[in-house]
Amino acid sequence: MTGAHWAVIGLLALAAFVIRVAGLIAGGRIRASRHAWILEALPGLIVVSLVASSLAGEPTATWIAAALALGVAVLTNHVIATMVLGVAAFATLQGLGL
Amino acid sequence: MKQGIKDGAIAILPLALGAAVYGFAFGLLAAQVGFAWWSVGLMSALVHAGSSQIVAVEQFASTGAVLGAVLAGAALNLRYIGIVASLSEMLDSLPLRLRLLAIHVTGDENWALTMARRARFPETGAPFLVGSGLVMISVWTVSTGLGAAMGAVLPDLERFGLGFAFTAAFIAMARGLWRGRAQALPWAVAAGATMVVVTLGAPKAYGIVAGAVCGLVVTGLIRRAQGAVR
Repeated sequence: MTGAHWAVIGLLALAAFVIRVAGLIAGGRIRASRHAWILEALPGLIVVSLVASSLAGEPTATWIAAALALGVAVLTNHVIATMVLGVAAFATLQGLGL
Repeated sequence: MKQGIKDGAIAILPLALGAAVYGFAFGLLAAQVGFAWWSVGLMSALVHAGSSQIVAVEQFASTGAVLGAVLAGAALNLRYIGIVASLSEMLDSLPLRLRLLAIHVTGDENWALTMARRARFPETGAPFLVGSGLVMISVWTVSTGLGAAMGAVLPDLERFGLGFAFTAAFIAMARGLWRGRAQALPWAVAAGATMVVVTLGAPKAYGIVAGAVCGLVVTGLIRRAQGAVR
């Protein structure tokens, strides 16, 4: 452990916290403005973008598993059921060599 | 309050299990570039941002430059401005100290789980977020420290769908946040923009920010058009 290692830890912790506090301040300002709709729209958009980022460039089997997971999610609206059946579909497709 | 914390802590367990494996792998990487095992745990507790930590440590390992590594890691965390902003109403009633704790323990998984659950059960609030967040940060801290201390090699868990478990979880959370057709176009644009940015070679975190911003622009345009019609 050198000073540089400590600096990475300290500065990264500071940066991560400052970004979160900036979000808190921005949230308060946006909520008080005529753009409050942004806070309604953001969660869905970020979650959809998280899904898209993990599917970009993935093989067809991953997309099929994702489509099956979406089917389970639509039918059950249940996170754990979707995870279990989605991973089972993914592992099956991998096992079949797809 | 206690019940909400407990509910959050239990509901997040399947995701925490997945995060533990990634944490273990990150601990290994960090130990290889000179971080002591306990400092890896300390970093995880203080930073609590997986992708940001991984990129910063990788950059530090390859270039040795502290500032470059920190900036690269911090840039990946910019989506937290939007994530935390969306929590501002939920956290409003908390004293400042608790509010700061809540935003520190907020990560992608427990935030998305909280928002999806709140969409179904509006009484879901800060206790659920904090309970699930405390489990995630604890698991992340312990698993990264353990990975660095043990230095063992992990089997290829990606093959068995570990990475996909998170994708499936986020798909379920998106389902929970679905409110109707009005969201279809903004969501499609957000997904498309994210994929374009990631396919062009940018880090996934930038793709997520780009996707969310494009989706917001489209939502704004739709709202303006509807306002004009009325």
